[in-house]
Amino acid sequence: MNLNDHIRIMTQKMLTMEYLWDLAGFRPNPQQREAILHVDGPLYITAGPGSGKTRVLLWRTLNLIVFHDIKPDEIFLSTFTEKAAKQLTDGLRSLLGLVTNLTGQPFDLSGMYVGTVHSLCRRIISDRRRFFTDRHRQRPPVVLDDLGQYFRLNNVRTWNAMVSYAGLDPDDAAEHINKIFSVDSISRHRAIEHLRPVFNRFSEELLDPVTIRSQLDTYSWDGFSGEQVDLLLTLYEGYRKTLQEGHLTDFALLQQEAFRVLNDFSGSGQVFSHVIVDEYQDTNTIQERIFFELASGTSNLCVVGDDDQALYRFRGATVENFVQFPERCRAYLNMAPRRIGLETNYRSRTDIVDFYTRFMRQIDWHSADRKLVYRVEKKIRAHRQDAFPAVVASMPNKPVQACQEIAVFVRRLLNEGKVDNPNQIAFLYPSLKSVQVERMKNALEAQGLQVYAPRAGRFLDVDEAVDVFGICLLIFGRPSLRGMGRDIEGFREWLNIIEERAESLIYHDPRLGRFVADRRAELQRALSDYQALQRVVARNHWDTKQPYNPEMMKRTLVSAPGLSTSGRKLVSSAYLDRIVIKRIQEGRPFSLDYIIRRATSLDWNVLDLFYRLMGFEHFKAMFDQAERQGDEGPVANLGLITQYLQRFNEERVSIITANLLEENQFQGMFFNSFLFALFRLGESELEDPEDPFPRGRIPFLTIHQAKGLEFPIVVLGNLYKQNRGAPLMERLARPLLPDKSSEPLERMSEFDIMRMFYVALSRAKNLLILPHFKGSPTTSAFKPFLRERITRLSEFDLDSLPTSRMEDDELPKIYSFTSDYLFYKKCPRQYMIFRKYGFVPSRSQTMFFGSLVHRTLEDLHHELIRRRKLSQAQPQSGGDHA
Amino acid sequence: MPESPSTLSIEEFIQEVFEENFELLIAESGHAISPQAKQVALEQVLLYWRKLRDVAESVTDTEVLLTLPAQTTPQGREFTIEGVVDIVREDEHVIMYDIKTHDADYVRENIELYKQQLNVYAHIWQELRRQPLDAMAVIATDFPSEVKSALAHLDPRALDAALERWEPIVPIEYDPAHKDRTIYAFGEIVDKIQNGEFPPPPLEVLQTPIKGGWRQERFGTRVCRNCDARFSCDSYRQYAMGNRRISERGMEYFTEDDSNQEDWRTASLDTMFSE
Repeated sequence: MNLNDHIRIMTQKMLTMEYLWDLAGFRPNPQQREAILHVDGPLYITAGPGSGKTRVLLWRTLNLIVFHDIKPDEIFLSTFTEKAAKQLTDGLRSLLGLVTNLTGQPFDLSGMYVGTVHSLCRRIISDRRRFFTDRHRQRPPVVLDDLGQYFRLNNVRTWNAMVSYAGLDPDDAAEHINKIFSVDSISRHRAIEHLRPVFNRFSEELLDPVTIRSQLDTYSWDGFSGEQVDLLLTLYEGYRKTLQEGHLTDFALLQQEAFRVLNDFSGSGQVFSHVIVDEYQDTNTIQERIFFELASGTSNLCVVGDDDQALYRFRGATVENFVQFPERCRAYLNMAPRRIGLETNYRSRTDIVDFYTRFMRQIDWHSADRKLVYRVEKKIRAHRQDAFPAVVASMPNKPVQACQEIAVFVRRLLNEGKVDNPNQIAFLYPSLKSVQVERMKNALEAQGLQVYAPRAGRFLDVDEAVDVFGICLLIFGRPSLRGMGRDIEGFREWLNIIEERAESLIYHDPRLGRFVADRRAELQRALSDYQALQRVVARNHWDTKQPYNPEMMKRTLVSAPGLSTSGRKLVSSAYLDRIVIKRIQEGRPFSLDYIIRRATSLDWNVLDLFYRLMGFEHFKAMFDQAERQGDEGPVANLGLITQYLQRFNEERVSIITANLLEENQFQGMFFNSFLFALFRLGESELEDPEDPFPRGRIPFLTIHQAKGLEFPIVVLGNLYKQNRGAPLMERLARPLLPDKSSEPLERMSEFDIMRMFYVALSRAKNLLILPHFKGSPTTSAFKPFLRERITRLSEFDLDSLPTSRMEDDELPKIYSFTSDYLFYKKCPRQYMIFRKYGFVPSRSQTMFFGSLVHRTLEDLHHELIRRRKLSQAQPQSGGDHA
Repeated sequence: MPESPSTLSIEEFIQEVFEENFELLIAESGHAISPQAKQVALEQVLLYWRKLRDVAESVTDTEVLLTLPAQTTPQGREFTIEGVVDIVREDEHVIMYDIKTHDADYVRENIELYKQQLNVYAHIWQELRRQPLDAMAVIATDFPSEVKSALAHLDPRALDAALERWEPIVPIEYDPAHKDRTIYAFGEIVDKIQNGEFPPPPLEVLQTPIKGGWRQERFGTRVCRNCDARFSCDSYRQYAMGNRRISERGMEYFTEDDSNQEDWRTASLDTMFSE
């Protein structure tokens, strides 16, 4: 044994958790410590806000890998967002790197299952090595995301197939469906928006239409008849049938598919020795089944969550999975879990913690017979002890005045340097569609402060979207829009707005005006070329479907009367000749139609157009700002626009051919179908908002968007959320579910509102500001606080407020030599646009290329290593000679 | 990764995993690359296998993740450096390979950059992991234009000859002095990223020919012309103004390269027609 090995073994033996904590500067409290060091059996971690749960998860995983010999491949770690997964793996890689450098023992995390439930399910259904005995199975289906699901249902062919399957007449099916939900409308869009959550819920609850139908008369619903439910079940079956035919699946069914794979594979309970689930309060039934199935062989299921922060009932999440976890463990694993409460809050000042703790006590969480409690008991303590007030309210006033008082105060905070950037002050709202949002925004703008709210209201209404799509409208021409109804009227109005806006832009920038005119001329030319070629086809009695025969057709086409120079060039190109001959030799010649489309195609698509537009002064100024540490808001929005344009390219038109320009087909596809759908879907929740938020702007967020984040200063912009009783979906699903210990339908909405406000209140680190609106409704749990002696903004002593500087995330970030350092060195601007803001490239080469080559090489090397081992084991079988 | 029976030829295996990885990356990144870029990526892997079969077959550790944690930037931020290499151990002889999708001439001409990188990796491997190391090299998988044209003309004899002349392995000298300077420079860049400093390179850089570039191509042509964001870039606009070939056609056109454009048409029409 050489000296190096000797040293390595010595260090390995001497390495302790305490030593690593010391190195990393981490001092766990006793509960954190216990949670980190726990290894065997089910573990139930209730983690209050700001209690260091990410660190606990990180160190617990490290403990398993380093000190308990668990291979990363044997760990299944599910997080709520991809961002959280990345944060965890980054942290883990940093810490494991530390260990490797101390002991020489390398760790490979590539086989570890870490990510959102959806991405992990996707991995399960294609992981032939670990979940299938038969390795030559068919390809896994393509997964539709929410928007994809909408477009699929909105497709006329799919829609007709589905409603016909359910025995409805496609002509009035939408009206029929809307009626089930007590809505009088013939809109297919609305019908789809009613059906999607129903279908998803059916899938998530693993409901079997056949079984339910056979016992239909044993159920009763509040608000639905048996026939109506029967119809919904049949539509659901029809929907699934159309998905199957397209070899597609959606998010909810993907989980079902994964669950089926687990059930079909006898060893599924042994694949992972540890199953760890974060944000367990927001899991649904199918996810619970998957987790318990995966843990069935080892019972090592660790769940982390906070029932008070459950937010996702509208997506089928059931907080009961968390609250009743001990009972579920007994049922599935025949074991009681160890419970550990992380109750020290490292985020907020004492006054804030006291405030939200008392807030939750304003209602009774017991069942009517007092036998059940729908909340896990906990005692959150603030780590930061000080006696100064940290929760303040405006004077009781009319909303306009109260907003103004708050805006003036925010201005003061910035002037006096209590925060170093407006992005450190967050305004949180139950909904960004409330009238209070507009009021507050105006009040702030009156103080010269700018707001960042990409998803406040409709994304298509943000300035940058109006600018970009307005120019598109001028270039492609206004679509004809038939029909009536609120949505269509609204969309027509939007088209007016963007058209006016674009007119004003080209008025101020004549170069842009010329550019638009050139593009229009180009479209016109492509169209007239197309018609010229079509006339030649007709005159010669050719059929466009027939194979293209260059000897017979090329000269005739090239000399078509009226064909433009560029059209002639494209038909007679040497490049085209080459591929035409190649295709003829291969026995799959191009059709005449193909040649005509090609010769009349544009050399740009909508994404190319977007990037070209960015060169005009109006847009360029936005980039200039972001490059120089200025306002990042506009560029962030432009990045989102590229994602939508890419979607259109991928799903609709990746190359604009002149046949699409006939009869305004292209306008129909781009505006009436694609943008109109986005317009109607309205505000779509941004799952993973950029964090930190764009500099120079005050973020306006929904409380949902703020989940998991923290801010030095939080303004809860509206203390009211209307209690509308249990959501329709719950009333539909509840009778079909076996479990009877769930939250009662009549209390559910009250509980959910309390939890939502709890999330908002607990985001604040140093100061929490509440508006006191008079003459506007207020959720009753806030009333005692506003009645009693709460500190008012006017009497608040600014000196007692700690100054906060922008902080980087607590976990060290990982930077890759190639995709960060070298990329930035090559061009910092390119790095900003494509890596930081996620612009979707149109023509540029991206990291995608490198990753694709590297991953395939990695697989190739693995395969070669495997074959080598195989041939060493069986010397008679020769290697491969490809 | 599909675990295929050994009867599947390696080239078939490559095609299969390549397609799978392509799908996976789309799922992860939310976007794809153009079909022609995809084709080039596949060709790089296939030609790597044809040209460097002996290296490929002797790799013992693939995509080894090297981490240098607990580094501090000049402005006091903590960060971790990460990189990936392949290792060949043969008869007590250990070689570290860094596979790049760059072309070999470029690597040779810009050897300093690669020296910096590999010497940091060598430090992690030898000093921190205490593993032996005898040599380092970059493998450049972007094949030369000679190979490209043989592929385009479907000429197998020319391809064989071009592959014969291609030298994709570039040895890198071991020089520990590089390490500290590089780590410091890395930290400076981390600070700049965190501070939000993203200016484009100055005009002079764009006007400078890229060492090892094809036909003395300048940065502004080789790098910027392939960047979608060039139209709104100050440096590129100044560059284009002073460059006759580009400014004549204004910056109003979408692409200046006809053959690329024809490739683009082919690929886009393929996807539209396949539906």
